[in-house]
Amino acid sequence: MAMQTVYLKEHEGLVHSSVGQLSSVTSAPWWSALGSQPVYGEYCGQMKSFSLEISNYVDQFGAGKQAARGVEQLLDKGHTTQFTIFPGISSSDDCKMSGDAQNPQATLSLQSSLAEPHNRFEIGVNQPMICAKYPYMDQFYGLFSAYGPQISGRIMLPINLTSDEGPTYVNAKQYHGIIRRRQSRAKAVLENKMIKRRKPYMHESRHLHATRRPRGCGGRFLNTKSSTDGNGKNESEVIKTSGRQFQSSASQSSEVLQSEVGMLNSSKQTNRSSPNISGSEVTSMYSREGFDGFSVNPLGSSVHSLADMIGSEHGIIRPTKWVAAVPGNCYNLKI
Amino acid sequence: MADGPASPGGGSHESGEHSPRSNVREQDRYLPIANISRIMKKALPANGKIAKDAKETVQECVSEFISFITSEASDKCQREKRKTINGDDLLWAMATLGFEDYIDPLKIYLTRYREGDTKGSAKGGDSSSKKDVQPSPNAQLAHQGSFSQGVSYTISQTFCFQH
Repeated sequence: MAMQTVYLKEHEGLVHSSVGQLSSVTSAPWWSALGSQPVYGEYCGQMKSFSLEISNYVDQFGAGKQAARGVEQLLDKGHTTQFTIFPGISSSDDCKMSGDAQNPQATLSLQSSLAEPHNRFEIGVNQPMICAKYPYMDQFYGLFSAYGPQISGRIMLPINLTSDEGPTYVNAKQYHGIIRRRQSRAKAVLENKMIKRRKPYMHESRHLHATRRPRGCGGRFLNTKSSTDGNGKNESEVIKTSGRQFQSSASQSSEVLQSEVGMLNSSKQTNRSSPNISGSEVTSMYSREGFDGFSVNPLGSSVHSLADMIGSEHGIIRPTKWVAAVPGNCYNLKI
Repeated sequence: MADGPASPGGGSHESGEHSPRSNVREQDRYLPIANISRIMKKALPANGKIAKDAKETVQECVSEFISFITSEASDKCQREKRKTINGDDLLWAMATLGFEDYIDPLKIYLTRYREGDTKGSAKGGDSSSKKDVQPSPNAQLAHQGSFSQGVSYTISQTFCFQH
């Protein structure tokens, strides 16, 4: 139930974001105001964000925070440590009184405490930064060991050796973001949303159609240029796709070469492993693009007809290069 | 005209039969691999080829990079009690995460996009028309124009970063 609630709220968020364009207009000067005074502005922003976070917890994000707290309880064991850090940062008694709100607010206060050492570092005080960094360094190290076995394959390579967080070194600016992303991925794994293996194709009907199509030398589809009863729709879609690419790109010859390279790649993929599946995947991707082109410009039938004419002219030029490409492909097959 | 709307219906019907949640979420998790491979081909010579596992690796890296930047911007919006992530939030997030080198070209792009400059310069027009095609298959990114445009431009920059 909590996961479904979170999912529905995400949809509501999307709807609100689509409706609310005035907020983006009002937010621009806010950001410029913050930019004008970096240190003082950031400090005020943190205080306001802290107070707003309390109201957010009470009003809107109760269910989301509860789900996050459940995940934290499953993965974290350092509740005592979080509680000790929390009163040192904030001085309001209401936060201390509410027992349920302590853990998520402690996490949020950890975020604010992470931002404060950067300001102090900019000012130039060394000892308070070291003292401030030590407790949550220990805590994050615990988090890292907790997350290690699950996401061991996705540890990022070192970019900057500023700070040491364990076996892998990352940019200090990105550390917090990386930890957040790891938590998000762990949450997705727990909710069984993550699919470890990729699906070879999206739609079975298109897959079956692609497997039934006749194939020539090198595994490519036959009759892609000439009109046939069975292949009429796909051919028109391919022509529309090529026509749209023709219109979008400034240089025509480079587009032709790119399409040739694409055809070679697709044929090579079909030959390498499971030819039917990968070929159908490429076909489904191209046909989907055709649909998108049609949906983007529904009223412009004349434009489509012009695109068809240009595509047909383009098709006349193509057989020469296609014939030239085939021997090379056979040569690759022999090797 | 009659054939066009029928085919998408069939597609959605098929996706409905085969566990629609997993299909929808797989599409939401990654960007379309064809668009990514097209961007990768622009950096190759005419006779260059890209292996399928290379495309999938770049697809995962690009999608993770977008989520990385977006989560940072989302945190800022939540702190300021705002519900809409705009281009400036993404620029701020990239600066915070250490990608300052990308800020200047992205500011130029965002300025041109907001001015609606599609006919003033040929390069701007071509790039905007190309970017318009790419995010449309992914419904999750289509909820805001400037956001999708920023993400599209970030894709190209991400390739430079990864390379």
